[in-house]
Amino acid sequence: MSAAVRPVRGRFLRSTALPIVLAAVVFALVWKAVVVIGNFPTFILPPPEMVAGRLVDAWLAGTMTPHVIATLSEIGWGFLVGGSLGVLIGYLLARSPLAERLLSPYLVAAQATPILALAPLLVLWLGTGLAAKVVICALIVFFPVVIATIVGIRSVDGRLLELGRSLRATRWQVVRHLEFPAALPQILGGMRVGATLAVIGAIVGEWAGADRGLGYLINLSRSSLFDIPLMFATLVTIAAIGVLLYLAVVLVERALVGSWR
Amino acid sequence: MSRRLIALALLVLIASACAPGPTATASRSALTVGLGYIPSVQFAQFYRAQQQGYYRDAGLDVTFKNEIDPNLITLVGQGAVDIGIADGTSVIPAVGQGIPIVYAATIYARFPNVVMTGADSAITNAADLAGHSVGIPGQYGSSWIMLQALLASAGLTPDDIEIRNYPEFGQGVALRVGEVDAATGFRNNEPVQLARDDYATQLLAIDEITPLPGPGLIVGKDLGAQDAVRAFVAATLRAMSEIIANPELGLEDSIAVVPDLATNRDQQLEVLKATVAIWQSPYTEANGLGAIDPLAWSQSVEFMRNLPDSNIPSTLSANDLVTEAFLP
Repeated sequence: MSAAVRPVRGRFLRSTALPIVLAAVVFALVWKAVVVIGNFPTFILPPPEMVAGRLVDAWLAGTMTPHVIATLSEIGWGFLVGGSLGVLIGYLLARSPLAERLLSPYLVAAQATPILALAPLLVLWLGTGLAAKVVICALIVFFPVVIATIVGIRSVDGRLLELGRSLRATRWQVVRHLEFPAALPQILGGMRVGATLAVIGAIVGEWAGADRGLGYLINLSRSSLFDIPLMFATLVTIAAIGVLLYLAVVLVERALVGSWR
Repeated sequence: MSRRLIALALLVLIASACAPGPTATASRSALTVGLGYIPSVQFAQFYRAQQQGYYRDAGLDVTFKNEIDPNLITLVGQGAVDIGIADGTSVIPAVGQGIPIVYAATIYARFPNVVMTGADSAITNAADLAGHSVGIPGQYGSSWIMLQALLASAGLTPDDIEIRNYPEFGQGVALRVGEVDAATGFRNNEPVQLARDDYATQLLAIDEITPLPGPGLIVGKDLGAQDAVRAFVAATLRAMSEIIANPELGLEDSIAVVPDLATNRDQQLEVLKATVAIWQSPYTEANGLGAIDPLAWSQSVEFMRNLPDSNIPSTLSANDLVTEAFLP
């Protein structure tokens, strides 16, 4: 290890890792205090050490793996479909006043309709397989991405576009080299929100009907097995997936925005 | 001046909120009773006991609360609800996981979940299900346990059939239109609805194979008001026996509590008659309504313990799950 790397790693540990670990420890201590002071039985609020133990057991026994894979695949496809459509439609709305007038009311209406009410219908139409979950995820991811894209594209500096035109750039070149890079921070901001919402979409879809996935496991552990520590362990896993997805988008943001700016 | 008036009004409000209720209520034992999620004619015995004053005469002030089965078990366990109705097959894992409840009286002496096939179907027993499609609401709960028990009786597992999920409980319709060869359902629901739609069914029941415990009354293990629970059970069983003798009585009292039921009286009466039929079994005919069959519970514990992914502790026995202390 070079001498230059050691201080960098030390700074990372002090500035990033240490606060995260400290926050987790404080959260667990507060949780434990609530259990002790409130004298809550395990079936109401299990203590953190019991949940941690159940989490480890569930992973070692292979209980979690198929459910995590199912949920991740729903999230991945839903995010891909919802994010891609969000960027495409968002660009169209940002650049075409006619499209905005035509589509905006439907977009707002779709967003105002609770996904919880739509999910059972989608499962009824598309079945209990992957398709319904992907659509639910995509619907929930779509709106923040489309809004972020509209804001991003509309905030592109007009002088940049003027410059592109003066250099006889094609439409595609303007989009590819000017508009998209300039709007990217906002678009990725929308995707950050979308990534965490995709997790909610997958869980809602699984609640509406599934035989696999972390949402299904929550239902199973709560309603059939009455294994409340397993339910909490599943919630912890879902939260961890949400945080990791958020961090992944942040990393992508740093890499892409850094390289373009 | 206005501030003083507001303060006075607040004091009056607080005083009225803190004042004891009517003396008639204060002299009676208050019981909160959790029924299933949707008020329906299937709870006719509770409505009749309430409407005819059997609870009041027994010194009880009963309030009904509608909740789904898993929530009721937790609420009874934590003491937020005094008495609840819950599936016996839910009581077993719940007690196994340390929820302090006990099954105090049988309401459904026959297991209400069955597998339905068309009346002219070639599927006439559990073994015939092999290779066929079966519609279910999901792989959880009492239907799923019943289906596994039925298959196990023929040496089959769910892998030997084609499972199709209908999370919105549309499996009865799926059977009707030929989308599946068989479907799970409740004896007092889907077969009744299908018969009204001119679709006769034959039912594959679990009772004579693995006598799984049906829904019954549960109470908290450390419940203080034991006399009140005993009185509640007795009043409810009295109403049950009257409805068995004349289901119309149960329908009238149900309509008094849930007026919407009057919109399709004939259908509601058919559902109630089908419900009454499964309140009784050879065991309750010999031992009285509400009787608990400990042997059936022991067999069910053993069966559920051997299911895949079971979390039933090896130490759990029927003695941990049921009590006859509240039966008349």
